[in-house]
Amino acid sequence: MKPLQDLARQLLEAGDVKVVIGYQDGRRGVQPAFITDPAQAERLIFDHRCVHNLATYVSPRRGHVKRLGRAAVMLKGCDARAVAGLLRESQISRDDVVLIGVRCGGVHDTPDVSGPLTAETVAPRCHGCTVREPSLPDHLVGELPPAPPVGRDLDADVARLMAMPAAERLAFWTRELDKCVRCYACRQVCPLCVCERCIVDKTQPRWIEPSAHARGNLAWHLTRAQHLAGRCSGCSECERACPEGIPVHLFNHFLAGVVRDAFDHVVSDDPEVPAPVGAFRKDDAEEFIV
Amino acid sequence: MSTPLSIKHIDSAQLEGLVAALVGAGTTVIAPARRGDARDTVGYRAVRTMAEVVLDQRPDNALKAFFLPPTDPLLHYERKGKDVTLTEVDPQIAPRVVLGALPCDVAGLPIVDRVMNWDYRDEPWFGRRDATTVIALACDKADDACFCSGVGLAPDSPQGADLLLIPTPAGFAVEVHSDKGVAFVAQHAAFFADARDATEVQAFRQRIAGLLPHAEGLDPDAARTWIEAHFMDPHWAQLALACHGCGACTMVCPTCHCFDIVDEQEGVTKGTRRRNQDYCQYGLFTLHGAGHNPRGDQGARIRQRVSHKFAIYPDRFGAILCTGCGRCSRSCAAGIDMFEVVERIAGLQATLDEEAPTGGEL
Repeated sequence: MKPLQDLARQLLEAGDVKVVIGYQDGRRGVQPAFITDPAQAERLIFDHRCVHNLATYVSPRRGHVKRLGRAAVMLKGCDARAVAGLLRESQISRDDVVLIGVRCGGVHDTPDVSGPLTAETVAPRCHGCTVREPSLPDHLVGELPPAPPVGRDLDADVARLMAMPAAERLAFWTRELDKCVRCYACRQVCPLCVCERCIVDKTQPRWIEPSAHARGNLAWHLTRAQHLAGRCSGCSECERACPEGIPVHLFNHFLAGVVRDAFDHVVSDDPEVPAPVGAFRKDDAEEFIV
Repeated sequence: MSTPLSIKHIDSAQLEGLVAALVGAGTTVIAPARRGDARDTVGYRAVRTMAEVVLDQRPDNALKAFFLPPTDPLLHYERKGKDVTLTEVDPQIAPRVVLGALPCDVAGLPIVDRVMNWDYRDEPWFGRRDATTVIALACDKADDACFCSGVGLAPDSPQGADLLLIPTPAGFAVEVHSDKGVAFVAQHAAFFADARDATEVQAFRQRIAGLLPHAEGLDPDAARTWIEAHFMDPHWAQLALACHGCGACTMVCPTCHCFDIVDEQEGVTKGTRRRNQDYCQYGLFTLHGAGHNPRGDQGARIRQRVSHKFAIYPDRFGAILCTGCGRCSRSCAAGIDMFEVVERIAGLQATLDEEAPTGGEL
């Protein structure tokens, strides 16, 4: 913890940044911390409970954070992919942020779990992780902990769904989406939902019905997932944020596979690699165009 | 705590029989039950038998959805030539029973009644309220997000309940708390027995006393005093730093009751006017047609939510718009803890009180 806290203190004292966005202990588990006073840097921690993807706080939509001034943000390897997305799409420039990478041994699915990381508690995004030591950040802190236990495999979840007859799959999603109350937590928590005005909030004309009925809910969730195809960094914060426990990230994970197969593209933490939606190649697959 | 009108007893087997009789007679019974979804969540839903009912887990969804649904059709419209036909949806619904609801969910209902019967009587709300007999279950499932006892309620509060069940070794003591409850017990008298030894109930009450040590000292009055004098305080913007600006907290809240009204087309000539839950945490909620937004950032929106609950509603309707259920805290992806928010604000007021000169000349 000390190297992390020392680094945060130095960055604040030197005036390099006005705020360090990290993690702190709360009454009910770990929560995001916004440290502006060097004397408070000792509040910063990093452990298995630090599941939040803090990249979302450097998105240009975050007016309150932006008004504090230049920010440093703590990133796990998976979170760095989201920052790379913001850079790739010119939502932020590299000079806007100082990136503090943390070596990671996996995180719990929720930030209020105490005790060791187990196959039952480990977040699905940790499955097969190859970025436990992020490469994008300016600073890298901590020792590399042991690899996390093998937990829920999203590939297997998607394969199980795709193996179902279409009617059964529709029944699965009907049951799940029936719970949706349209709180838009999935959108708000997403580091790559960067639109200043979301299509679902447009009223003239109204493209997507705002009502929480079957038609409106299906239209919303498919549109959300489509807009993130080839862009989603795979953090599954959308799913953690859902108050109704809808496995919304399965849509994103499925589409990541589609984009991989169709465009040979996997979202990485290299901002120089363009996303398929933002690049034109003469040899792009076109079989999806009807 | 209000004194029950009378006390009865019901065995577990009789409760099972009561549910079967209600369902058999065509009454919808709404209770906590597994929702059969991927995450195996427990939520309020219509059940067919007592075997489906889950009484030892906290339901994830809000009971209010059965009174103020996330979306609710108000009328259908159809245009034929120059004529428009409107068909209103009848707000009267068939009698139904809510069974085993958490006292903090149930307590929200009479709090919201006040605003729903303010400048006009909200027919869809009271249509559902009048049709529903509410049977709450005294709660022993407190966790660190709960703070009912900090806002004047308790895990065994009967507020809003027609009947309150209190677990005993042989079943449940049944406290009758309303005329509707009296009528319900009379109508289904075969399932209810005379009250048993009161010591069984006392044993349960002893077990739940002190389950919420953190909440006991909460001072919502101090929070109200601070809020009323600090509309422009930078504290609100600070609070908004972590907030994602989603409406999960409002959607799951037993007392948040705001809504939007939309017309949705179904084809070219027909459509439906719907009332949808809609809340102050969204930028769109207060966006004016001309483009101005009086609550232009998340700090203003958080201030609205906290102020409405702990200052504005108490001022206008004489009740705190919060039952301390902790759902907002549990559902917040950013870890914002409503208990902590109120405690901190009350603490700011306590500091001001200490600094203020007491007695003597000013």
